[in-house]
Amino acid sequence: MIDAAGRRLIAAVNPSAVAAGLAPGMPLADALSFLPGLATALAEPATDAAALRQLAEWCGRYSPWTAPDGSDGVRIEITGSAHLWGGETALAADLAARLDRRGFACRIAIADTLGAAWALARFAPAGDRIAILPVAATRAGLAALPVEALRLDPAAVQGLRRVGLKRIGDLAAMPRAALARRFGETVMQHLDQAQGDLPEPLSPLGEIPVRRVRLSFAEPIADPADLVRATERLAADLVTRLACEGAGARRLDLAFHRVDGRVERIRLGTARPSRDPHHLAALLTERLDTIDPGLGIEDVILAAFAVEPLTVEQFHLAGASGGVASGEDIAPLLDRLGNRLGLDALYRLEARPSHIPERASVQVAPMLSPADAQGRDPPGRPPRPIRLFTPPQPIEAAWLLPDDPPFRFTWRHRSHRVARADGPERIAGEWWRLDASDCGDAVRDYYRVEDQDGCRFWLFRAGLAGGDHWPRWYVHGVFA
Amino acid sequence: MSRELLTALREQVRRIERRAIAMHGTTPFGLAAIDRALPGGGLARGALHEIRGTAGDEEDGALAAAFAAIILGRLLAAAAGIVLWCLPRPDLYGPGLAACGLDPARLVLVEVPRDADILWAMEEGLRAPGLVAVVGEVGTLAAVASRRLQLAAERSGVTALLLRRWRDAREAARERNLPNVATTRWRITALPSQPPPIPSLAGRGGSGGWLGVGSARWRVELLRCRGGAPASWQMEVADATGSLSVVAAMADRPAPPIHAVASENLRRSG
Repeated sequence: MIDAAGRRLIAAVNPSAVAAGLAPGMPLADALSFLPGLATALAEPATDAAALRQLAEWCGRYSPWTAPDGSDGVRIEITGSAHLWGGETALAADLAARLDRRGFACRIAIADTLGAAWALARFAPAGDRIAILPVAATRAGLAALPVEALRLDPAAVQGLRRVGLKRIGDLAAMPRAALARRFGETVMQHLDQAQGDLPEPLSPLGEIPVRRVRLSFAEPIADPADLVRATERLAADLVTRLACEGAGARRLDLAFHRVDGRVERIRLGTARPSRDPHHLAALLTERLDTIDPGLGIEDVILAAFAVEPLTVEQFHLAGASGGVASGEDIAPLLDRLGNRLGLDALYRLEARPSHIPERASVQVAPMLSPADAQGRDPPGRPPRPIRLFTPPQPIEAAWLLPDDPPFRFTWRHRSHRVARADGPERIAGEWWRLDASDCGDAVRDYYRVEDQDGCRFWLFRAGLAGGDHWPRWYVHGVFA
Repeated sequence: MSRELLTALREQVRRIERRAIAMHGTTPFGLAAIDRALPGGGLARGALHEIRGTAGDEEDGALAAAFAAIILGRLLAAAAGIVLWCLPRPDLYGPGLAACGLDPARLVLVEVPRDADILWAMEEGLRAPGLVAVVGEVGTLAAVASRRLQLAAERSGVTALLLRRWRDAREAARERNLPNVATTRWRITALPSQPPPIPSLAGRGGSGGWLGVGSARWRVELLRCRGGAPASWQMEVADATGSLSVVAAMADRPAPPIHAVASENLRRSG
């Protein structure tokens, strides 16, 4: 039952309540008046929706194209996957048996169009739990169903019934223009969609994989060793399929369908397309400990997203200057590191032609082949530190004359007396860049200073000494 | 007869002591003074080496990184492959590495904040083929972790450099003197530089009191060396190339306290 505007209404009923004359939408007070022994429970639409979504995900064992439908249905696109189950009849029987076992009452319909399947599932003659409309028999199959089966709103249904159009067949026989004028385009659109004259795409729950392999178990498995074996077998199957196409997988999704209907997943990406079964299996099995098998796993599905052509050419990460090629492939190592630490954690440093220190060296993905050395140090440029702090760290500094380095500064609670200094090296902002303001003041004066112990720092003063603002000092890096 | 036996035994002992060297060879520094102090005439490949700075540099890790970069430059010159450098913060600067003789293009960085993840990444790297060396900047290091790294390095022949970088003074005090199984342990200390022949730009300023910054001077201490004796040198590093030169050898002498040397040096430089 639901609470609606202060009245309690019945939201859903079970078969014996239907037999007693109850129906959804009836006020609870009325229902109790002629059925005092009625057992009621508050409706939980959010929980129901979540459960339906989970059920739709579970149906992923039949096809990757699944989605919840309204508040009480699941759509499955089985074109191209029914043969894996021995035909549509066998698939429907398997689905019904499994849903029974899990305690779901269900009606299953298979038809050429989404609209027809929806209509059949809800309005097929009672007693038919499984309704299969043969190919190209959609119009005939729909003709006998009531107009409610067209997914129309109640007002439209009432209008149609008032003029005596009770069955879909009646509607289809009428002249279109008159119908559209009287009942609106929606009615015609739903009719056309149900009959297959208008396309109706199904938006799936998740992304649709490019390649997909499945392993089902008659006896649910839960032993870690079995999970490893299943993973290895699937990786080998997937690789066989990928090899036929000359492709390698960039992203994988390994789904474990548990007997209780939950789906546990391992998702991972590879640094570059791969179809090495051992490598892929190793990446997946490494994460198997995150999978809770519960009471057992009945299906394992490995899906490859983002497939890229894979050439046989060996990758080599070579220094452009050294011209030394690595004989071994480091991609498997990078994958292993990336999958545990995140692919963002891995990078290379690449020189860029910019005189702004933080832009002269950028982080790039490790597997990109190194660009030509374009950011070579210009001759005569003052030395650069080995550690650069981003952002620069503010210090307290004391200095005498406008263009002088500080004679003393305090950083991280340590006081440093400056014994030697070089500079200033003036670095102006790249004013032609839109984001130039993010590097603080446009002009910085850099000094390389050495303290009393010989430690060397790269300090800069932001803002000109004679400017509007009092200059601020920062330490930007440390020299060796 | 007995003399021959003795020679054979000595040879045997030497082989046991220098297991890593016998297996994977050494890479010389190219400085006679240092190479003499290292068994096998250079830094053992396929072994774990620890490098750390002193004072503020125990946190910044600039000296340790520069010394490591110089070593890596030599390793990479002799072998094909890349270096994996695991660090907790993104503060390693490409142009600075290049100035130490290490081509950043042959470096893959792994940035993870936790010591445990850095150690894990190092071990994975040491097991993988195709790497020349693995570097890790580690704060807290358990003795068993250092043994794992040393064994992994011995097995694969990949050289492991452990840069000690402590987050604060407390961690530094706790970790500084803990034993580990590294084949060599190095400590690098900054020393005041000698004035360059040309006065610096700052020197032209109105205050006029500024001395220019010369080439970096380091005290390089070999604190521990398996199969060798501790030693210490004073070195100068050329700014642009990172090439080392020994200024004063202090091998086979116990390292004096840093401050005494620093002040003595200051006095000498005037």
